[in-house]
Amino acid sequence: MRALLLVVDPDPASYTHELARRARSGLAAAGNEVTVVDLHAIGFAAAMSPVEREAYHGDEPLVSEQVAAQAALVTTADALVVVYPSIASGLPAILKGWFERVLVPGVGFGFNAQGKVRPALTDIRHIVGIATYREPRWKVAVRNDNGRRTLTRAFRMSCGLQARSRWFGCHEPTSSAGRDEFADRVEREMTGLS
Amino acid sequence: MSRVLVVRCHPLRECYIDAVHQRVLAGLAGADVATVDLYREGFRPESSIDETDGHVERHRDLLRWCDALLLVYPTWWAGQPAMLKGWVDRVWAPAIEGGDRFTNIGQIVAITTHGSSKLVNMLEGEGGKRTVTRNLAPACGRGTRTRWIALYGIDRLGDARRSRFLDRAERVAQSLV
Repeated sequence: MRALLLVVDPDPASYTHELARRARSGLAAAGNEVTVVDLHAIGFAAAMSPVEREAYHGDEPLVSEQVAAQAALVTTADALVVVYPSIASGLPAILKGWFERVLVPGVGFGFNAQGKVRPALTDIRHIVGIATYREPRWKVAVRNDNGRRTLTRAFRMSCGLQARSRWFGCHEPTSSAGRDEFADRVEREMTGLS
Repeated sequence: MSRVLVVRCHPLRECYIDAVHQRVLAGLAGADVATVDLYREGFRPESSIDETDGHVERHRDLLRWCDALLLVYPTWWAGQPAMLKGWVDRVWAPAIEGGDRFTNIGQIVAITTHGSSKLVNMLEGEGGKRTVTRNLAPACGRGTRTRWIALYGIDRLGDARRSRFLDRAERVAQSLV
């Protein structure tokens, strides 16, 4: 299986990056081919540019080479794994922008003859979210976990019913031991993904 | 005189969102209006290790100045465009997470367009709406009202419906004056 793992955190020494390394180890141990993309490290721009917006509904919506490379990775993946810190109950802007700029018409979805949206990423079987939250679980539930819903609902609509989602949340307050335990669990669960 | 902060987010100068923005400004005649145009001023939406910059401080000052906040943007992937989400991440996160709130803001109005239908947005969980009602509003005050002014399925709508929505946007703006 091919897995695309997106990691988002401006600090390479962060717990987010530790979780990404553990997820990668688990996936690799199970014999999967893993591509890790660190969106901050590659200098991915969050915002769709005016040129991209102009091209969006045209024949060639992938304007930048960097974005086209991401599109090639996701269209050949069987699993998408995202590792990020939840901000304002949602995806960090750089990850939200990845969906907006990479999953354009023809990549993330197509339109049928009636102009209705149809899924295009029909190879994706697993959607995995690994998120850290600066709030306790109940508070995230009250606010609504918009990041999770972007992955498990909006993105899943781009994949189709064959895609199954798994979610791992590490909530504050958590101890150092709690973090270690969570990282162990992430690695163990990723070993079982195939 | 009521003080209104308008935040415009769209990569293009000429687009339907710009038409909405123009009608909002017309409706706000008589109010004290400040506009933040995130694309035009080159706001950086990506978080970084050092979060402070001039934009963030100025925007927080504007948020402490206004009585009402009016957001004008297209809904993409069930939520605010990354540029606007980055503004929320960088400018609002401390207030959302329990820091100093913008208690002066009595009302938040989101005026937005959706490519998909209301039904699809409900299935997707309406993340954009909940970002406003359950993240931004509680970061202001207990009595802060929110209004959700949304146009769904815009790509399949005729000129008449689009034109009526512009009228509605202007009326909503007038109600803030």
